[in-house]
Amino acid sequence: MANLKDIKRRIHSVESTMQITKAMELVASSKFRHARERAEAAQPFFNATYKLMAEIAAEDPYFNSQYVHKRMENGAVLLIVIAGDRGLAGGFNSNVLKMAQARIDEVKAQGGNPIVMPIGQKAVDYFARHEVKVLKAYDHVAEHASIYLAMDMAELVLQNYERHESLQSVEMVYTNYVSPLVQEAQKIGMIPLENLAGSHPRNCAVEYEPSAEEVFDRLVPQYLAGLIYGGIVESFASEQAARRTAMENATDNAEEMIDSLSLLYNRARQGAITQELTEIVGGANAQN
Amino acid sequence: MKTFRLQIITPDRILFDGDAVQLTARTTEGDVGILAGHTRYAAVLKTGVLTIKLENGETRTAAVAGGALKVSDEKTTVITTAAEWAEEIDADWAERSRQDALHKVEQYKNEPDRQERANLKLQRALNRLRVSGRDPKVTQNK
Repeated sequence: MANLKDIKRRIHSVESTMQITKAMELVASSKFRHARERAEAAQPFFNATYKLMAEIAAEDPYFNSQYVHKRMENGAVLLIVIAGDRGLAGGFNSNVLKMAQARIDEVKAQGGNPIVMPIGQKAVDYFARHEVKVLKAYDHVAEHASIYLAMDMAELVLQNYERHESLQSVEMVYTNYVSPLVQEAQKIGMIPLENLAGSHPRNCAVEYEPSAEEVFDRLVPQYLAGLIYGGIVESFASEQAARRTAMENATDNAEEMIDSLSLLYNRARQGAITQELTEIVGGANAQN
Repeated sequence: MKTFRLQIITPDRILFDGDAVQLTARTTEGDVGILAGHTRYAAVLKTGVLTIKLENGETRTAAVAGGALKVSDEKTTVITTAAEWAEEIDADWAERSRQDALHKVEQYKNEPDRQERANLKLQRALNRLRVSGRDPKVTQNK
């Protein structure tokens, strides 16, 4: 028969775990709400920047910017990888890191040279372990990310792109928030901006000051910063949603465990009482 | 007065979305004024002041931290990394960030990249102070 004291101790331990998971669930859902609002607020800015750039690329027949040209293959590929700062968020971190690793392997297989820029403690740790060249690592920035931080990152990326002709492309791996229950790791290309120039060329007279390229090139950092900022806040919202779901499940599991342990405990208690009674009755009978 | 549709968009919010009579902004080539029916136009904005005039005669002023301006047939768009209305600006905060920037400009004398960034920060802080109506010269020696 199970020891009453042991069962009691286990119930206590599960209860305190449940308190933690419950608290984490609440924290995650409150953070999630803020993160979602931030991600939504950033959307119009990004869309407007993108639209303006696409318009410039499409409207000006003589348009020619270094950011839209494809460079040679098999060069270096810079991968911005955005993961979380903490664990206990279901498959959130591992999904995004798996996708990044797959792309790194692919680049290597093609004879290219992968370089990463990890954002988030988990990504930083991962690439430190896996001996991949790191351009610059950022940890604990997601929760209070600002557009200025994203601008700094964009500037760094662009500087490298301008200086190194061998840098073939810049890509970003992040987690796209689909719904409270679904978050998907995703990879997008950032530079070169190929599909921009391809969109229907219309020929309408627009006055550019100082020139179309100048306006366009000035927008590129803003566009990149918008993309990075969007990726960070989107990933952060996804992380919180994933953590909330994971912690909700953990809390449910703990509840179930407590239920079955309580049943076990009550049965053991009943058994002990029955046994004691049998012993008393047996003792009384023996005296007669 | 004829009006045109104007949108001012920043990463955290849409600062303005509505009809305006006139827009004045500072581009890299100088100040421009936009009225309804302006030709299609695009320019790079500098850190500076942006003023709009509304149909009811009201004038609103905002501090803008660089970006782009685009006039198309259907609307005029201002995209900027940061913008605040004059009345929203926290002048004390701007003053602190001005002093911080000044300090950094001094500190990064030998690092052109970082000094450049500090200079931009200084410009933004000065711009905010100017727009909020507090003259930076008055508080300079405190």
